[in-house]
Amino acid sequence: MIFLSRTLPVIVALCFGVFGIGIYYVPHAAAQNLERELALWLRVVFAFSYLLGLYSLLNLHWQRIRQRVEGWGYSAMVYVGFGLMMLFVIHNDGKGPFAPQAEGTAAENGYQWLFEYVQVACSSTMFSILAFFIASAAYRTFRARTPEAALLLVAAIVVMLGRVPIGAYISEYVPAAAEWLLNVPNLAAKRGILLGVSLGAIATSLRIIFGIERSYLGGGDE
Amino acid sequence: MTRDTYVFLGLVLLFAVVNGVLLANGVLAADWEGLGVIVAAGLTLALYSFLYKDNPLFKVAENIFVGVATAYIFSQNWYQTIYGEVFVRLSALGGEDSVSGDWWLLAPTVLGLLMLTRFSRRFGWLSRLSFAFFVGLGAGLTIPRTISSFILAQIEPMLQPLSWSIEGFNLLVILIGVVAVLVYFFFSVEHTGVVGKVSRVGIWFLMISFGASFGYTIMARLSLLIGRVTFLLDDWLGIM
Amino acid sequence: MIQWLMNIDRRIIFVFVFLGVALPLLANVFLPIKPTRDVISVYDQFEKVAEDEGIVLLSFSYGASTEPEMQPMARAILRHCFSRNIKVVAVCLWPEAPGLARKVLEEIGDEFGKTYGEDYAFLGFKPGNFAVVLNMGQDFRDAFPQDNWGTPLEELALTQDIRTLRDFDFVFDLAAGDSIEFWWIPYGQEKYGFPFAGGCTAVMAPDLFPFLQSKQMVGLLGGLAGAAEYETLVGRQDKATAGMSAQSMAHLIIVAFILFGNMAFFLSRRR
Repeated sequence: MIFLSRTLPVIVALCFGVFGIGIYYVPHAAAQNLERELALWLRVVFAFSYLLGLYSLLNLHWQRIRQRVEGWGYSAMVYVGFGLMMLFVIHNDGKGPFAPQAEGTAAENGYQWLFEYVQVACSSTMFSILAFFIASAAYRTFRARTPEAALLLVAAIVVMLGRVPIGAYISEYVPAAAEWLLNVPNLAAKRGILLGVSLGAIATSLRIIFGIERSYLGGGDE
Repeated sequence: MTRDTYVFLGLVLLFAVVNGVLLANGVLAADWEGLGVIVAAGLTLALYSFLYKDNPLFKVAENIFVGVATAYIFSQNWYQTIYGEVFVRLSALGGEDSVSGDWWLLAPTVLGLLMLTRFSRRFGWLSRLSFAFFVGLGAGLTIPRTISSFILAQIEPMLQPLSWSIEGFNLLVILIGVVAVLVYFFFSVEHTGVVGKVSRVGIWFLMISFGASFGYTIMARLSLLIGRVTFLLDDWLGIM
Repeated sequence: MIQWLMNIDRRIIFVFVFLGVALPLLANVFLPIKPTRDVISVYDQFEKVAEDEGIVLLSFSYGASTEPEMQPMARAILRHCFSRNIKVVAVCLWPEAPGLARKVLEEIGDEFGKTYGEDYAFLGFKPGNFAVVLNMGQDFRDAFPQDNWGTPLEELALTQDIRTLRDFDFVFDLAAGDSIEFWWIPYGQEKYGFPFAGGCTAVMAPDLFPFLQSKQMVGLLGGLAGAAEYETLVGRQDKATAGMSAQSMAHLIIVAFILFGNMAFFLSRRR
């Protein structure tokens, strides 16, 4: 049982990891066909993995409703939104879920209507709220306590003013300074970070392939 | 009822009156699109009410959004892949529309279904095979491409001949910056002496980079705010 | 007084930010915009595709949360493509993208009288992140066998001869996440060598400058400012340009807050 639940997955990871590296360097048609096939497999498994997240979310809110925890009514709202949208998903403009997705604009199709006027509205609003909090945080906490912090502050101000039209009104050098900051020191730092992260990613990938890193298997019961 | 409750009820009433006026004046059409704009404006304002204080309106809007978004993303996965590719191709197996390679589609389908056993106490170990495939193949695909795209392709432009020009100066600054940042992140050696000084230079470059990122982040969030305010002022109130 | 200023109720700051955004929008002020080098590079690349009568792959990798930044960018790019009769094939790599992509394709397609299937095609969304790019590179039909509504690619005039990513003259990714850096460049551009550029949210723009210098990207549109610069190049001012006045004012307000906060901090430290 330990072989099936612990050792076999590590062997699977090793085999597919070696395939993944090998097919990059082998130009033979068989290797390229294998790459194509494995990419399709990845996509299919990816689609199923979403169902895990779906179950987790719905189960979390269901438990809150079942146990009548404080604020359980809001979890019921999740089911209201989910149920309403799923009605249109399943209805699919009369074609049902086992047919290609229906066409139609928001005026013609409840599914598009909910997407445009509920999901898009709420999603972009949630992220735009951060603008207010960033402004508040910048005022209260962004202090030039050290020379490094002052450097960060100056760079932020130059970029903020240089990348919008008002910068050119303040001085013609402001946009030029912003451009230089982004294309030289910022580029250097980001490249250094990218190189470091890449080396770390390679090391972690090798550890996964060789079975040293097994956290993705999860712990607990065999 | 508290003062805040009166304030929120008053705002809801005001919202209803404003919409009535907009519909009566023809600014909003009395059709599905008009109703959509009203619903979107209502949800937007309900979410923005969080800026005053956390309140039930905000929580209702937030949770409805979560439900709708979840179902939407499910529908995209279903129609495009689970039904559109897996179901259609597997149900044609053995028939005249069948393609010989389609039998291989059973493998990822089984792996995908095994993934769902994650929630079972007894059979949860089966999901490890799916995760092992996914993670192992992903790791294998990552390594050569990371070397090529992120290491070799990034080092090459730095190793250009320097010249007595602005471009040459910039190239020198970039070279110094990259080396200094890499030295800063090398924690296996104590940052004292020469290493400490180079590491300090790396910190300066990082501070400039974080400052630039901070400036751009503010720009991004404000852009989203501009978009929502444009919607409220133009699409809803029609005063822009 | 200084302590009160340093601990001011944040809702007052919120009001200033809101007014800083709303008032310029209501005043309808248009500030002149000067396109930057990286945006001009993207424009020039599209012009080159137009001269060669080529075909472009437009990848939509953003969702509703970044719609105010990315949709104006998508509109400006599509207006350029359709005004120069560039053929466009659109795919989505994010699950929330299809609704937004469809809307902008149909809107701009109708504006220029373009025909679906001949001038542009929309292939919908496929889950899989980098795996989709990998799949498209090997066999485009394997990744996208049909368009968004189930029509096989061989039945659309535009996509009949598309087999791999090499068949596109230019690939442009509209990205809100790390699709440019971690999907398209390593899994697509690196192997197949097609001209590649991207438009991204402002949050991600600073991270992509190394790829511009290494020529892995031809150009970059960063955030709403990038979209506004592109609208200027295309000669059609729209929401992005209108937003720049509000953006400028809001930035000034935040810079003022930062400087004021620091001034108050140093004054209180002196005491």
